[in-house]
Amino acid sequence: MNDRTSPRRHLLIAGAVWAVLSIVGILVVLGLQILPVIASREAVIMEHALIVLTVVSVPVLMFVVVGLAYPAIRFRAGPGDQDGPPIHGHQRLEVFWVLGTFAMVVGLFVYGSVGLLDIRGDQQAFLEVEAHAKQWEWDFEYFGAKEFHSPELVLPVGQRIHILIESKDVVHSFSVPAFGVKQDAVPGRLTQIYVTPTIVGTYGVQCAELCGLGHTRMQASVTVMEPSDFADWLAQMQAGSGG
Amino acid sequence: MGEVIHHGEGDPVEEAGRLLLGLKLFILSEIMLFGAFFAAYFVLRGEAPSWPPSPDFERPGLLLVGINTLILVSSSVTLQWAISQVRRGNASGLRRGLGITIVLGGIFLAVQIYEFLNNGFGIADGVFGSTFYSLTGLHGLHVLTGLVLISVVANRARLGLVNRDHHTALEAVSLYWHFVDVVWVTLFLTVYVL
Amino acid sequence: MSVSRLPALRFFGPGLRRGVLGGIIGAAVGPLPVILLTTAGDDVNSAHVLALGYVGVLIGWFAGLGAFGPWLRWAAGREADHAAAVAAHGHAGDWRRYFRFTTDHKVIGTQYMLAFLALFLVAGSLAMVMRLELAQPGQLFGTDTYNTIMSTHGTLMIFVALNTIVGGLGNYFVPLMIGARDMAFPRVNALSFWFIPPALLLILLNPVFGGFDSGWTGYPPLSRQANLGEQAYLLTFITMGISSIVSAVNFLVTVARMRTTGMSWMRLPIFVWSLTVTTAIALVATSVVASALTMSLFDRILGTDFFRPTSGGDPVLYQHLFWFYSHPAVYIMAVPAFGAVLEVVPVFARKPLFAYRLAVLSFIAIGLLSFMVWAHHMFVSGMAEFFHIPIMATTELISVPTGIVFFSAIGTIWLGRLRFATPMLWVFGFVWSFLIGGITGVYLADVPTDIALTDTYFVVAHFHYTIVGGMIFGMFAGLTYWFPKFTGRMMSERLGKLHFWWFTLAFNAAFLPMFWLGFQGMRRRVADYPAELANVNLWASIAAWMIGLSMFVFIFNFIRSWARGPKAGPNPWGARTLEWQIASPPPVENFDDLPVVTAGPYEYGGRPVMPSPAIDPSGASS
Ligand code: HEA
Ligand code: HEA
Ligand code: CUA
Ligand SMILES: [Cu+2]
Repeated sequence: MNDRTSPRRHLLIAGAVWAVLSIVGILVVLGLQILPVIASREAVIMEHALIVLTVVSVPVLMFVVVGLAYPAIRFRAGPGDQDGPPIHGHQRLEVFWVLGTFAMVVGLFVYGSVGLLDIRGDQQAFLEVEAHAKQWEWDFEYFGAKEFHSPELVLPVGQRIHILIESKDVVHSFSVPAFGVKQDAVPGRLTQIYVTPTIVGTYGVQCAELCGLGHTRMQASVTVMEPSDFADWLAQMQAGSGG
Repeated sequence: MGEVIHHGEGDPVEEAGRLLLGLKLFILSEIMLFGAFFAAYFVLRGEAPSWPPSPDFERPGLLLVGINTLILVSSSVTLQWAISQVRRGNASGLRRGLGITIVLGGIFLAVQIYEFLNNGFGIADGVFGSTFYSLTGLHGLHVLTGLVLISVVANRARLGLVNRDHHTALEAVSLYWHFVDVVWVTLFLTVYVL
Repeated sequence: MSVSRLPALRFFGPGLRRGVLGGIIGAAVGPLPVILLTTAGDDVNSAHVLALGYVGVLIGWFAGLGAFGPWLRWAAGREADHAAAVAAHGHAGDWRRYFRFTTDHKVIGTQYMLAFLALFLVAGSLAMVMRLELAQPGQLFGTDTYNTIMSTHGTLMIFVALNTIVGGLGNYFVPLMIGARDMAFPRVNALSFWFIPPALLLILLNPVFGGFDSGWTGYPPLSRQANLGEQAYLLTFITMGISSIVSAVNFLVTVARMRTTGMSWMRLPIFVWSLTVTTAIALVATSVVASALTMSLFDRILGTDFFRPTSGGDPVLYQHLFWFYSHPAVYIMAVPAFGAVLEVVPVFARKPLFAYRLAVLSFIAIGLLSFMVWAHHMFVSGMAEFFHIPIMATTELISVPTGIVFFSAIGTIWLGRLRFATPMLWVFGFVWSFLIGGITGVYLADVPTDIALTDTYFVVAHFHYTIVGGMIFGMFAGLTYWFPKFTGRMMSERLGKLHFWWFTLAFNAAFLPMFWLGFQGMRRRVADYPAELANVNLWASIAAWMIGLSMFVFIFNFIRSWARGPKAGPNPWGARTLEWQIASPPPVENFDDLPVVTAGPYEYGGRPVMPSPAIDPSGASS
């Protein structure tokens, strides 16, 4: 290696490279959409969280990348070289690093907590549905004027839905990637989630917890409709179950 | 580097230190073992509507097990007494102390087994039976182990191999025995009394 | 005088043969009580027979190996048989001692190393089969087959990750690095290893018992309905647990009590520190999972109801107990790798380890924190909701001490005189891969994102980046670094570098795309997936097979170099820690005179230095 360059000069160069890479990286990330489908209020929060986490990660990633690449290029031992300088540590730097990463973690934690509470939201809901899981199929139960069961989940758009989840046999997990939501179905206890679909369409429901042979196939569909269409569907189903 | 150092090789004091430290560490993991079973007991009991959950079982009476508890506790005392004897170099006292300890431990086990046979419920009778028998059974296993170890030491004492300056094994065993004892008291208070 | 002295019985002298014989007898005798019960009319099934038969095997096996001999002598109050003790230690150059109940820590270390490298290859081959199934949509073989392969791969690999560095490199090098002649309890050490062959045999046989499809996590109630193979998993896991508790005690006593004169705590090589923390974690956490698995086993064979919801049991309780161990377990995998990596860095950067004390503190902090984060595996499990936020806090907090490892590594290479021999390459590979694994871990620690990502391939990618990118890379760094010491020969640098680049590129190519698959919502533990994910999965499969192929380079290099690589000499890398100051391979007694330590382990630069490395800086030599 060439000993021309002074230690602090090395720092400056590496620091500059790091800054540039980080900024470029962050700009790229800000242009991304990470989740392929974002069809619920909750999914929006999650997408936002993913972007924020990635933005925070870029400088960390770049720091380590530069920290590896720069020495690999500049600090290679030459043939005659003996040992490097006997530096055992650097108090101020160590404190700075610990406090720095700690601050980042605190930031992430606060942000994460806010997001979580936001996802949970209040306990009001427009509609309550019960999702029954059993090896290896889903069954959805609607209440109100007349109770009835449906093999597919149908929801009105833009309304807060309260989904109660229970299992008849083993642990399953109610998962709708498009909504971002996921909640295990545990035998012997009732679990719940709130979700607010925001885009009309048909999406997949899947079981996300290993539950034996049929786990792979344990899927259903969820259709999100305009409230009016949903009302019609409800009426029709109730009539059907009446007959 | 250079001069020869015999680093505790064959040095009895050093060896003793290692053995005792090792045992203490092992006991730590034993504490976690019982801890897990106790955790399960409290969680399941907490979730049950009543304890025992089903009315057709009832918890064993306290009289017999209470006496049994006293027996086990006193066995710890006699064992400690045996150690004090060996420290004084009193071989016959040592043997007597160990003998009594073994007898007391034996009685404890016997009573436990008697109780198991006369409880109105089995291990397969709901979470009540599951937690009760796995906890007491696990502890019983430890008592048995302790008894075997004490008997070994007693045998060596009989052969005069345990004396004022060679009784590490005895101390180790007593440490273990006291631990088993403490576990029982906890178990008695939480599983039987509480 | 033991029978083995009679010529007629020598064939069945204490050792492997008699061990196997004993095992077989035990297998036959063990279940007898149940058989009798059956005749007595109680309901008994294959489950009971398997469980008791296995216990019988263990007892017979150890009896046959002659493990109990000296203890029985002692119990009977007979004189210790010194000839036997020396024999148990074995003589240099006697290959047979590698197949006996040998008490030399170097032999035991080698036994661990080779056993788990072999297991790594087997479990890896299973992964190859998995990637075959996942190469395209639709199913090649039945779901049950896939689940069994997947579960076995996971379980075996967890054992690999837990034991290869600790049991292998740890047993071999800790006594050497602290200047001791052996571990504190050599026989116990041997015991902890010989638990493993019967245990592994059992789980490898699980297909015979119908396989098990509960994944490596074995969640009830599924684990209760699963085939008898589930029991192979439970019994093996419990046995491995016992083995690691026993060896943890041994390690801790060794480090606490057997450091040579002058080897103060703050002069301990960082690798020894890492193993101290690791074994402390193992000591405290392991018996908890052993209990959980035992309850699961009881639910199957004794009809208990711990996890059976229909009669008051609680499946989530199992998850709590399981993860209370299994999260700390991931640091049992990672911290030794941290230690190995930080051990290698100063040697090839020719600079003292940067911020040694801080690194030690970070290990301890990781050890403590690792007990407060288990529930981050259960954010969607239906556990109490108030639990989410504190667990998120503690989990993210672990990033700080873990970050210090990176800080220390980079601080060391900065301004160093880097020599890129193979071990150093693995260090760089480690820092990169584990960083990806760690950062994605933070994505999972954040509850809002974890809800979306849990049980998807994002998690699969995360933990392969942490375990493979962390533990396996660290293991290769350690193996290639210490190879000259335990074989006395140099590995081929050329092949070593080929393996490194091939493995690393293939590994990243295989697992980076899995993060994307996770975002697409592809679930883990499925044998089939939507068609639109076909291409990426095919790519991942091909890259995965490349990883597999790269391993042949390693196998070849490892065997060939061990057989006839160039002689290494005592200290080919010019390292300063104790193990390098004696012959390679080390003599049976390690040190003729125990050394006196007068300086820290990484005094490069400053004071008079070791002869500079025998490898040329570019590291191109072989
Ligand atoms: C060696 C093994 C290993 C290691 C070291 C880790 C490390 C971490 N893991 Fe991982 N994990 C696993 C193995 C491992 N994991 C396995 C096997 C599973 C799946 C189990 C199963 O379900 O089958 C899993 C699953 C898993 C989950 C559950 C996912 C789910 O099922 O929903 C979570 C959630 O929090 C998680 C988080 C973390 C975190 C936060 C770390 C942290 O320790 C990472 C800390 C490191 C860094 C963050 C990088 C370096 C830090 C810096 C450079 C400082 C600056 C950085 C920041 C401020 C961000 N892991
Ligand atoms: C140490 C830990 C470890 C390691 C090293 C690996 C290594 C690999 N893993 Fe594994 N994996 C796990 C731990 C590990 N895994 C765990 C814990 C799970 C979770 C299981 C569960 O969900 O319960 C898992 C799950 C898992 C999955 C998800 C399965 C699913 O959810 O459906 C996948 C899918 O791609 C995968 C792939 C791979 C691949 C391609 C490798 C490659 O790196 C392997 C490289 C190949 C080799 C090392 C073999 C090389 C040798 C040969 C090919 C031939 C020579 C053989 C002989 C001489 C006998 N693993
Ligand atoms: Cu139901 Cu997986
Ligand atoms: Cu974890």
